[in-house]
Amino acid sequence: MSETTFMGVDRDRIDWKPTIDYSKCDYCMECVKFCPHKVFEVKENEEIQLIVRNPDNCVVFCRACSKICGPDALSFPDKNATTQRIKEIRKELASNG
Amino acid sequence: MVENYVILPCNGLDKCAGVISRELAVKLCENNKNEIICPVFYRVAEAKYNKIASERPLLVIDGCQTRCASKLAAEKKLTISKKLTITEEAKNHNIELKRNLRLLENENALIEIILNGLNNTKDKITLFSDGTKFVYNFEYATFQKDKFIFRLPKNPEVYFNENDCWAYVIDNRARIGVTDFVQKSLSDILYFIPPDIGTEIDQFGEVGSIESSKSVIELISPVSGKVISINETLEQKPELINENPYELGWIAELELTDFESDKELLIGFDKYFEIMKKKVEDFNV
Repeated sequence: MSETTFMGVDRDRIDWKPTIDYSKCDYCMECVKFCPHKVFEVKENEEIQLIVRNPDNCVVFCRACSKICGPDALSFPDKNATTQRIKEIRKELASNG
Repeated sequence: MVENYVILPCNGLDKCAGVISRELAVKLCENNKNEIICPVFYRVAEAKYNKIASERPLLVIDGCQTRCASKLAAEKKLTISKKLTITEEAKNHNIELKRNLRLLENENALIEIILNGLNNTKDKITLFSDGTKFVYNFEYATFQKDKFIFRLPKNPEVYFNENDCWAYVIDNRARIGVTDFVQKSLSDILYFIPPDIGTEIDQFGEVGSIESSKSVIELISPVSGKVISINETLEQKPELINENPYELGWIAELELTDFESDKELLIGFDKYFEIMKKKVEDFNV
């Protein structure tokens, strides 16, 4: 279902995933319904009802779930820092042949 | 200037942004030149509003990103001429919204700012693009999944990112847009929010967004540069993105700032065609 690399870099080396602000989240679960990559998981009958279960399934640079989040409870890492990191890793990979 | 509009506001009375939407709509109607649609009544008795909704331009005011008012407009098959989202406006103007349901200083200030903005809307300025650089004689590759046909241009001047956006690069300019994967995933596109002209965009930065009744997605720019033109036709005819996202459905034109560096994280037709095919299979578009 998910991609294992992004621009040739192993996905688990790229820090890109949503962070849930539980002080804002109202558990409407719109993000769960929206995301086809199964990044989120619903924990019924638990105090915290929503978690980020599969962070590496998250499409790098996609912030679409935060765009549909009514209470604005989802945030993402800094995009420029992530871009730089990907370029650095690609350089490392190229120099290691 | 917002005059002679019908206004469909969020009416979420249990949220601060909903209360602001309602108040903004009321204020916009105080001049008697605009008319309000009550979203609650519209659901149960649409006859009252259908005539004005079809005759006049429509301004949709969403309270938050749940977009209830936009979704109602889509459900009723209304064409949206203008829209705004209160929580986004608050962010853009550095105004923090809390949970109060009565309008206080911050909320009233935001309403005034938005009203001023709406009443002083000027014609958009196009910087220095005449669009003549971009000649469309693309050759397309296609593949079919069920009844859907996906196309992709094979032109070597068209680059892609893995976020399903393309850049058609000529000299130091690029037109950008979305691929067939995006437009088919969203289904009928109902609204296009362009980037502001003059904005500097980083590679992978947001360069506008498009909405369907299914969802809203931001466009992730394949290249860095300054927005010098937008496809204004899309504001009235967003369906052109569905009809041909590579030509008439282009989104914006950028003056490139660092294309040599951007290229490191771009791919060509061969690689993206395989990626798009895999996505179509995986996500059952």
